[in-house]
Amino acid sequence: MDLTRRTLLKTQAAAAAAAAAGVSLPAEAQNILTGEDLHLQWSKAPCRFCGTGCGVMVGVKDGRVVATHGDMQAEVNRGLNCVKGYFLSKIMYGNDRLTQPLMRMKNGQFAKDGELQPISWDRAFDEMAKQWKRVLKENGPEAVGMFGSGQWTIWEGYAASKLMRAGFRTNNLDPNARHCMASAAVTFIRTFGMDEPMGCYDDFEHADAFVLWGSNMAEMHPILWTRITDRRLSHPHVRIATLSTYEHRTTDLSDMALIFKPNSDLAILNYIANYIIQNGAVNREFIEKHCNFRLANTDIGYGLRPDHVLEQRAQHANDAQVSNPSSFSDYAKLMSQYTVEKASELSGVPKERLEALAKLYADPKVKVMSLWTMGFNQHVRGVWANHMVYNLHLLTGKIAEPGNSPFSLTGQPSACGTAREVGTFSHRLPADMQVTNPEHRKHAEEIWKLPHGLLPDKAGYHAVQQDRMLKDGKLNAYWIMCNNNLQTAPNTNNETYPGYRNPANFVVVSDPYPTVTAMAADLILPTAMWVEKEGAYGNAERRTHFWHQLVNAPGDARSDLWQLMEFSKRFTTDEVWPAEILDAHPEYKGKSLFDVLYANGEVNKFPLSEINPAYENRESKAFGFYVQKGLFEEYAAFGRGHGHDLAPFETYHQVRGLRWPVVNGQETRWRYREGHDPYVEKGSGVQFYGNPDKKANIMGAPYEPPAESPDAEYDLWLVTGRVLEHWHSGSMTLRVPELYKAFPGAVLFMHPDDAAKRNLRRGQEVRVVSRRGEIRSRVETRGRNKVPPGLVFVPFFDASQLINKVTLDATDPISKQTDFKKCAVKIVSAATADAGGQQ
Amino acid sequence: MTGECHISSLVVHSRPDRVSSIVESLSSIEGAEVHGGAETGKLIVTLETDTESQVVERINAIQLLDGVLATALVFHHFEPVQERE
Amino acid sequence: MRRGVFLGLISIVPCLAAGAILAQDAPRLRGPEPFTREVPAPPMQRQVTDDVRVGRNYPDQPPVIPHSIEGYAVDLNANKCMSCHARKFTEQSQAPMISVTHYQDRAGNTLGGLAPRRYVCVACHVPQTTAKPLVDNIFTDMDAITEPERQPARGRH
Repeated sequence: MDLTRRTLLKTQAAAAAAAAAGVSLPAEAQNILTGEDLHLQWSKAPCRFCGTGCGVMVGVKDGRVVATHGDMQAEVNRGLNCVKGYFLSKIMYGNDRLTQPLMRMKNGQFAKDGELQPISWDRAFDEMAKQWKRVLKENGPEAVGMFGSGQWTIWEGYAASKLMRAGFRTNNLDPNARHCMASAAVTFIRTFGMDEPMGCYDDFEHADAFVLWGSNMAEMHPILWTRITDRRLSHPHVRIATLSTYEHRTTDLSDMALIFKPNSDLAILNYIANYIIQNGAVNREFIEKHCNFRLANTDIGYGLRPDHVLEQRAQHANDAQVSNPSSFSDYAKLMSQYTVEKASELSGVPKERLEALAKLYADPKVKVMSLWTMGFNQHVRGVWANHMVYNLHLLTGKIAEPGNSPFSLTGQPSACGTAREVGTFSHRLPADMQVTNPEHRKHAEEIWKLPHGLLPDKAGYHAVQQDRMLKDGKLNAYWIMCNNNLQTAPNTNNETYPGYRNPANFVVVSDPYPTVTAMAADLILPTAMWVEKEGAYGNAERRTHFWHQLVNAPGDARSDLWQLMEFSKRFTTDEVWPAEILDAHPEYKGKSLFDVLYANGEVNKFPLSEINPAYENRESKAFGFYVQKGLFEEYAAFGRGHGHDLAPFETYHQVRGLRWPVVNGQETRWRYREGHDPYVEKGSGVQFYGNPDKKANIMGAPYEPPAESPDAEYDLWLVTGRVLEHWHSGSMTLRVPELYKAFPGAVLFMHPDDAAKRNLRRGQEVRVVSRRGEIRSRVETRGRNKVPPGLVFVPFFDASQLINKVTLDATDPISKQTDFKKCAVKIVSAATADAGGQQ
Repeated sequence: MTGECHISSLVVHSRPDRVSSIVESLSSIEGAEVHGGAETGKLIVTLETDTESQVVERINAIQLLDGVLATALVFHHFEPVQERE
Repeated sequence: MRRGVFLGLISIVPCLAAGAILAQDAPRLRGPEPFTREVPAPPMQRQVTDDVRVGRNYPDQPPVIPHSIEGYAVDLNANKCMSCHARKFTEQSQAPMISVTHYQDRAGNTLGGLAPRRYVCVACHVPQTTAKPLVDNIFTDMDAITEPERQPARGRH
């Protein structure tokens, strides 16, 4: 009998005797603890994982998180969490948390080939500053870079952007969100002149049809999927159509599953546009009033290295982003090639199903919500795919009103809030501004109280380019924060790892855990995570939400925000800014970067006394002012009055998030629509006011083939992705025993016929081989993913099966986002390969 | 190996002036534990034993303690014990 | 196959300061050492099928599933889980009834049956394999913090 049960029975026995004798026992001898006895402090926070942005309640006792559950008051999830969210309580307590800085050393000195040894923060920053200064002196600002995150808090991204752009004067700052939704973000700007969706999650309760483009929401956005299944099962007329390259849990609950050949979604999208045009379903009035037509440059290459034959051969590899004004008739002519026969032939989807899908879009009575994530975005024509789905909604006028909603889902908790809104991309500034635009730079310099001409005008290296430049020795001082890029970047053996170990480079990784990336670094900085710091995230529906610091990080672990700001103290303007700027503005001379970036009169405006005394705030105490509030208010100045209005700082600590623009205390659920969006002028109905003429762009583009397709030798498509139980590279979820035990290792999902053809059994060890590299995995012919013949799926969470050694570093040439969804591989038995030797 | 676990509770009615010495004596009886009741002289005691006869043995021993007026068994529960690693 | 060899590449000494990182062989967490090495894929793990209930870490944790769910249909026509866990079947099946929270819709109204938003059981409830955790998790139960003296000397997990 378990000791707890013994104790419980004993207290029960004592209680019975006490009752019989009329004796009252001391409180601690009572049978069971009631909620009151536990004295938990409950506080709200957003979930740490995907872009859905669920609210959770976090229970804290004696400085430890002891419980979490779905927040009933959070509109996003109303009390529900997915299995990852329900286990948030345990993500901070893996026993191998990093608690002090570690540096590669030999004989007490930094050595690239040394062993990792614990050092103090002072020592860590000393060495880091020394390396940064060496690189800046030898190779200039373009040799310094940082890879950040859509999991950074808003102020962490903002502080990093200031440090990199204004401090070190480089735009070599990119977030891992580049791998995640750059195609979506770029297309928003190209179509509407403003980033992020016009609709919101309320569309789930208004739509009649949901069309999922390459999205497995049942596993990747489970809580949003509950809202769709709720709608579908409560309203029999509602339909769900799911397009994917394989069947999965989402297709299980769909009315229509359209399994298409990789990349042929482009042909299907154009066919639907053609169907709409041919069947008189175009909303003429809408397109005349609200749309322009453009045609994109074609034959644009695949974002590979410029000397790659595919880039050499492509006509518009260098001006892929260019498009030209066109007309409805030219657009219709281009679309007319995409007959149902052609779409069916390219995609392998039966004609009847394509027609049934097209009818959903064409029927003016059916409100359609289109949803997509990585299937569209991680696509060599991801920008085009995004355009094409907007085209369908714009042609029919089914946009920016309840239930009619093209909706780009996001992968990370603050891909929108931090990566996009704050502008931590190599080409962006806050509030949709661009580094290459002199007006935008000037505006940023004014808000930041910095001398004109300081901000660099050249777009920096994007994610994949950073890896290439590290390898080529052009990027030498590199800081990786809040991501695990050596596991998640493409073609890692050839393009990522070599750069980390290049002797010319000094690589720093900040992380709570020893990840694959951290293990390849020269310096590892231990990081505070989630509720160990005060934070803010922005989810996929423009909802900004905050949380307080609820517990302290273990040991010497400190937040990314503290690390960025503390490191800035190690540099003076004289060391990093050009003499001509300082001569013209002598008041900046001799000051530290901390002084000019953070103690600038704005960021340090709010005293410690404004911090809620019920909560700890380590960074603010360290710097002597309310850093999060100062950074947030300075940042908010970029967007207020420009369609990105954020509420006052304190408001967000009270509410369960608000969707911007927040004007006169009111959030905005549907943008660009009169009556919902205060920025739309009275009487206009709809205004896409991000563009100067207030019109959206319908962009014509053709189907083009992928960068690599299966052939005689590499005869299978490889698709990579996530599973429900694990978040990205698994550094948090693999450390939660229940999640680990639920899905302990990656497997190779394969069609039984493909396995039989190769004499492979379920569970057998195989090699997954591409032209880039190989890994070993285990064959799974059953299970949740049912792949068609000719295609295999491998999740990327398992560091012992680094599938990104196999993937191809092809990107969308416009968005520079990697295509992790298609390359060619072969599968051979590991035993055969061992016995036969390797050639 | 399987055995049983017996959990029982008693009210031990004691002479107020002898309560402290009775509590002390109880502490030397195997499996007995005092939970309270000293101020009223009605001591709440639990017993944890392996067999039913041990319950009876313990009660007899307690009744013989100097100053104990009466002992009443209030609660008795037993269940098999599964040895778990 | 092209094996990229980078000239001048410095390989990593696979050694960490004592105490900083658990000395546990866990390429699943940290990757192979060095990174470029190929590691064998561990065997697939067996499902736990003992039907023994597993305690929860805190009240709102969805209980894990102590049996296999292979081949269970959860689609527009059928929900296999409910054939045992629905209220009306628990007497025959002796399976735990779905929690009363599962009868509430988004607005908090209680319905007569399973709320449609709770239809996909496996979004929250997951089966377990016999895999041994890669690293200890030192999460502490709230009762253990409140009353450390009354807690069993159970291993942390």
